[in-house]
Amino acid sequence: MVTFRLPRLFEKKRGSRRTGSQAWGQFGEACFYGSLLVAGVVFTVILGRRILEAPGFASISLWTWLLTLLLPGALLSIGGSGLARLLTGWGRSEEGMAALRRFPEMFQPSGRGFDANEFPSVPPWENFNNSPGTMLRYRLPLESAESWSVFGFGLFAVLWNAVVILLAVAAGVDFVGGQTDWLLLAILVPFVAIGIGGVVVFVRALVLQNAVGPTLIEIADHPLRPGDRCDVIIGQGGIGMFRQISLSLELEELATFRQGTDTRTERRVVREEPVAEWRAITIAPGHRFEERASFEVPAEAMHSFASLHNAVTWRIAVRVEPAKWPKFTRHFPIVVLPQRTGPTLLNTPPAGIATVGSGR
Amino acid sequence: MSRTAGQERLEPRVVVNFDRPSRRYDPQETVRLQYHVAGTGDAQVRMIERSALWYTEGKGEEDLGICFFERITDAEHLPPTQRQGEFAFRLPASPMTYEGTIVKIRWCVRVRLFFKGRRDFVSEHVFDVGELPPAMPLRQPPTAPR
Repeated sequence: MVTFRLPRLFEKKRGSRRTGSQAWGQFGEACFYGSLLVAGVVFTVILGRRILEAPGFASISLWTWLLTLLLPGALLSIGGSGLARLLTGWGRSEEGMAALRRFPEMFQPSGRGFDANEFPSVPPWENFNNSPGTMLRYRLPLESAESWSVFGFGLFAVLWNAVVILLAVAAGVDFVGGQTDWLLLAILVPFVAIGIGGVVVFVRALVLQNAVGPTLIEIADHPLRPGDRCDVIIGQGGIGMFRQISLSLELEELATFRQGTDTRTERRVVREEPVAEWRAITIAPGHRFEERASFEVPAEAMHSFASLHNAVTWRIAVRVEPAKWPKFTRHFPIVVLPQRTGPTLLNTPPAGIATVGSGR
Repeated sequence: MSRTAGQERLEPRVVVNFDRPSRRYDPQETVRLQYHVAGTGDAQVRMIERSALWYTEGKGEEDLGICFFERITDAEHLPPTQRQGEFAFRLPASPMTYEGTIVKIRWCVRVRLFFKGRRDFVSEHVFDVGELPPAMPLRQPPTAPR
């Protein structure tokens, strides 16, 4: 006996769960992707026939072919991939789908020099260990948010001012030709102001990034475990007075979520362990500030964690307060592995995925 | 769920007994448990899926990682013929159960019953991996999205 229920027009959403039928939802998705696929096929056939029947068929260039087939190609790929994804998941539970996705991982070479399943969901750390230090074992890479900001400001300034130049040339040509397009001039004034502002913001960010000199962090060991004590060396370039330089160990949570059509990321620092602090520092030309300290990863600490939309990350934070420039913070991520728990069992096979019985 | 004439109302439940009443395990330990399926009457169960997994909760989209997955389709191992079952799995080294402020990680065992002609039923039983203290917020993000 099979129950059949018509879809409801309005449904309730309880947390992440909905009251609607999953089968009807999948049916709706299948109709959507199926219609895209059919539209792609129809477009391809119609356009193909028209091109083939065109008088100058032999002289059509490759670019014309590609441009003509761009829309039907997109429809075919979106519709086809959507249908394939639906068919793969049809009738499967959330756990079944996760198990299915796990199979490729199990056969992939790890590339880390150890079993890929040894520390599932701990982010890889090869990139942190491939730069040897001059005094301690590893030189940590800088989290590049600051560099990306400067790059973003620069890109905006270049693109915006390119548009401004085009408008200005058009206005200039009109003016030389004896015409004055007042609307174009009115648009040009705020555009020029924004363009100048973009350049100023970019130059300021660039100067701030480079004027105070680079920050360098080297550590004696990596990755670390909760309870581990580790030596660290901080190096700060630049010339002149610094009011304060401080070093701390931070734990940050990061969650990515959708809000309407936007994807947002929220970060929250949930732990901060001060490591060392230096005040009233003067750096002579040709030298840099350099100090050694040591820190301990808290014994009851959460390990580093990264999944598709969530992460828990450890990092060394360097807060610098120059006398003549605005203060800034630079972050150097590290990886903390889970606590040691008794004798290692890493070489025994992990929990498995099995099907008992005849299958579906 | 609407019912057709003659179809009895089901109130399935799955009782799970972990080998450790505290339900707290260390990474890489083996978890053993027994379960009992009740409230299914004479309804035909065509399949049972039993799994162990972690999932995230909090502000971000949910992520999920499977540690153990087993599907039973032999009628002789399914209710109403057999209502009890047991399974064991070894936990990986990570992730550990974590009670953060915007990211939380939970471990659970799920027993999912697939009925013939009815909607499937899933029973979830949470347990802890490791023993970490909950995190406390230190400072608000500079640009908290609304």
